[in-house]
Amino acid sequence: MEKWEGEAAALSPEPAGSQRLSSAIVRVALIDADSGFVNVLSKRIGAVGWRQQVLPSPPPVERLLAMRVDAAVIDPAMLGVEAWAFLERLCSQPGSPIVVVCTGPSSVAQRVRGLRLGVDDWVTKPCHPEEVLARLEAALRRKSKAGGGAANTEPIVAGELSIRPDMFEAFVGGRPVGLTRREFELLHLLADAQGRVLPREQIYERVWGYSMAHGDRSVDVFVRRVRKKLESASPDWRYLHTHFGVGYRFEPHPAEEEEAIEEEERPGLPPA
Amino acid sequence: MRLSLRPTDQQFFALFEEGGANTRQAAELLDELMRRWPESDGLAREILICEQEGDRITHDLIQRLNSKTVAPLDREDIHELASALDDVVDLIEEAADFLTLYGVEAPMDQAQGLSSVLRDACRVVAEAMAELRGLKGLERHFAELNRLEHEGDRITREALASLFTEGVDPMAVIRWKDIFDRLEGAIDGCKRVSNVLQGIVVKHS
Repeated sequence: MEKWEGEAAALSPEPAGSQRLSSAIVRVALIDADSGFVNVLSKRIGAVGWRQQVLPSPPPVERLLAMRVDAAVIDPAMLGVEAWAFLERLCSQPGSPIVVVCTGPSSVAQRVRGLRLGVDDWVTKPCHPEEVLARLEAALRRKSKAGGGAANTEPIVAGELSIRPDMFEAFVGGRPVGLTRREFELLHLLADAQGRVLPREQIYERVWGYSMAHGDRSVDVFVRRVRKKLESASPDWRYLHTHFGVGYRFEPHPAEEEEAIEEEERPGLPPA
Repeated sequence: MRLSLRPTDQQFFALFEEGGANTRQAAELLDELMRRWPESDGLAREILICEQEGDRITHDLIQRLNSKTVAPLDREDIHELASALDDVVDLIEEAADFLTLYGVEAPMDQAQGLSSVLRDACRVVAEAMAELRGLKGLERHFAELNRLEHEGDRITREALASLFTEGVDPMAVIRWKDIFDRLEGAIDGCKRVSNVLQGIVVKHS
């Protein structure tokens, strides 16, 4: 279990005049061997009410994604020859965190390469931890404005359903649907995709935090459970749609309309 | 074969037939459990009852062997056959138990595939056990059990390859590796039954 620092500090008042993000607690992974710098940066992160975890050695990309951090400050010097491959893999994953590279002197070509791989910002050491923090905030703000990221805790309202990320629950007419954490994450992920079909593998990676083993039916089982709970709480609406052989899509439709579509698609079959 | 003027104890055949039917029932329940999982509806409990029934049948066979009755087959073969049948049911029960014990959230396609091969193999075993008394027509079952064992091996290899893909949850690997081992072991157990039966047929031909 990861040990997150800074939760106590979350109670301390925010510095006046700073343009902080929403009330959501941001989780930051610090992958850097410079203990002095990391200590100061950790304290600053704790002081703004965020949480941070120091990783003395770089974890595999899948592990880092599984930690579901909102941002990562990385010194590529720790990654050695694997640095570019690591950054490329991390930044190309769906749901990847904000990545701020904080490292020693580098060439223009290196910085350009990093940014083009998907790194959100590049800070050259020696630098002040407060600047790193401000750059993290700026990157998170950009992501939040673009409509993605964990800092986005706005409710999603669809059909009779109100999905509340701040409460990890969905509500119908003010009554909770009764989702487990994983069921909620799956529903929120699909709803957040705004009608796009998400492949099973992508859903598994984002919700479970690991690659999906071929043949694993976890996504199907959880979609079935969520669908059952939604149909029980909101019987006149259908929200989750199956795309056979691909994955699932979230789109609210009145149940009658949905049944009519199904009948049109299967004219020769008797009703179930 | 020893010649004896005393009549042989035909109860052995009845017990083997019972054992075969019990093995088939356990495999059919496991197949259903694997297809329905995580909705188990008490199927794991029914499989446990089959496992206990298997132990009872094996115990009865060994008891009968130890008594002064005249066995209709070689004593070693009876013992080997009883053990092989018992092992299959034990492995079926372990696979079912692991689903709950390991908190498996959902089945895997390959586990469903192996369970279905195992169900078919146990159906063949049950048929063969029912025909053991006459020792006639058993040969047709050997080829089928051989084919099913190969099919089980193929699915197991595919299952292991999928588990050891980069980035898969190590806990899922541990859970499923154990379950696949049991399923494959049970299918191999059916092949062992076939091997013992082949030996018996050769001795009585």
